Amino acid sequence: MQPSTQPEKTEKSEETKPAEPTTPKKDRWAFVHEVEKLPGGEYVLDCLQCGLCAGTCPTRFAMDYSPIQIMKMIQMGMREEVLSSSTIWVCSSCYSCYSRCPRGVDITTLMMSLRNLAIKEKVAVKKEVKPKFHKTFYEVVKKYGRMHEPEILIKILKKSDLNELYRNAKFGWRLWRKGRLQIRPTKISNHAEILAILEKTAKEEAQ
Amino acid sequence: MKYAFYPGCAVHHSSKEYGESCHAISRVLDIELTEIPDWSCCGAIDAVYSYKPLSSVALVARDLALAEKMGMDVVTLCSACYYTLNRTNKFLKENSELKGKVDAALSSAGLSYGGNVKVRHFLEALMTDVGLQKIKEKVKTPLTALNVASYYGCFLVRPAYLTSFDDPEHPKSLDDLVETLGASKVDYYGKIRCCGASLGITDENVMLEMSKNILLSAKDAGANCVITACPLCHFNLDAKQKDIESKFDIKIDLPILHFTQLIGLAFGIEPKELGLNKNLVVPNKILLQYARSVA
Repeated sequence: MQPSTQPEKTEKSEETKPAEPTTPKKDRWAFVHEVEKLPGGEYVLDCLQCGLCAGTCPTRFAMDYSPIQIMKMIQMGMREEVLSSSTIWVCSSCYSCYSRCPRGVDITTLMMSLRNLAIKEKVAVKKEVKPKFHKTFYEVVKKYGRMHEPEILIKILKKSDLNELYRNAKFGWRLWRKGRLQIRPTKISNHAEILAILEKTAKEEAQ
Repeated sequence: MKYAFYPGCAVHHSSKEYGESCHAISRVLDIELTEIPDWSCCGAIDAVYSYKPLSSVALVARDLALAEKMGMDVVTLCSACYYTLNRTNKFLKENSELKGKVDAALSSAGLSYGGNVKVRHFLEALMTDVGLQKIKEKVKTPLTALNVASYYGCFLVRPAYLTSFDDPEHPKSLDDLVETLGASKVDYYGKIRCCGASLGITDENVMLEMSKNILLSAKDAGANCVITACPLCHFNLDAKQKDIESKFDIKIDLPILHFTQLIGLAFGIEPKELGLNKNLVVPNKILLQYARSVA
């Protein structure tokens, strides 16, 4: 009678554990070749799974898959799992992994390219604020030609979280008191130039 | 020495004191910084790049085209801008297809970029063009009472294919500078660990944890203060320090200075002129020790 609780337990632990990269996908090469064409992905097949990237990564503690797992998953063609992982969004682009990689795999630049791929394909991500941050940043730069932190923050902040709002308001006050909060954005004078350039590139990128 | 100056958005907004102190020491060292007229945002590492890579490259190419007209090396204060501008140069050099698209976009705004602009960090210019010897000659008050932890962060020293002026694993430029100013350098765990960068906006808890480890390791190693060479690193370590203290229920109280502010102090420039009154962690303790070394 006692073991009746056991199956429940294993079911639960399987649920929370991310899928182990064990079985290669049939169309694995399609994804491998796709990645090889991305900036940073040139040498993805050279990864020999030494683990220096995972050991050195400062944001490993907040990722679902570690960088070494992502590399293996790419080699195995696990496209959806890679693009929906939290890893590509938690990466802070610090280039520690690249600096220590004995095979010269530019993992950091690859993570940026994977983020771009995930945004382009509208892959559902675990933290929606991340793609929103990139889009908002672009919009603000397009609008003024310069960055304007308060506007970016206000646009991506969750308005329902009062605690968060209060904390940010307090933080803004601390900055403002020291003269470090620019409430008004600065707009560059030749803004038409930026618009002309971005219009042209946006057209190209839409293709 | 003359340079085309690319301040970067942060230096004009949330890190004004960095620009103020940079200009103050430039006057002493006879460095002439001419701001690139009408420069725009570089796209902040991957903020624009991850969304629209081509647009991000074209945006920076415009800045470089404007700088090219000035005929001088570009100097920037921000490590993230330093990386982004250099990366754009590399992309344009290596990818002719991309260069074609960028050229077309630039010409729609009546601009062109020949690819001949060299982009350098202000610290790099100080180390290689000005030299520590000249800096030493200008020191009025050696900062003998200070133990300074140099925080290099990421883009000042990494990736090596873009930033070759210091070692990515064992950088020493800031430490050499600290010793030149008469202070003692502090060796500690966090000096090349990432502070969290823009995760401060999208994933603040992760950033707070990362910056906490840097600050605590510097404090444990006996530092009186930390110096940074990037407005984003400074923002996370200085402006967010109070948030770190309240989240982890610890007391850190470690003043964070821009490296230009530390140089300015040794040069005998008034703290207010260096913008030290704008640092969120009030550097009173250092100033007291500084006053002692003056006396």
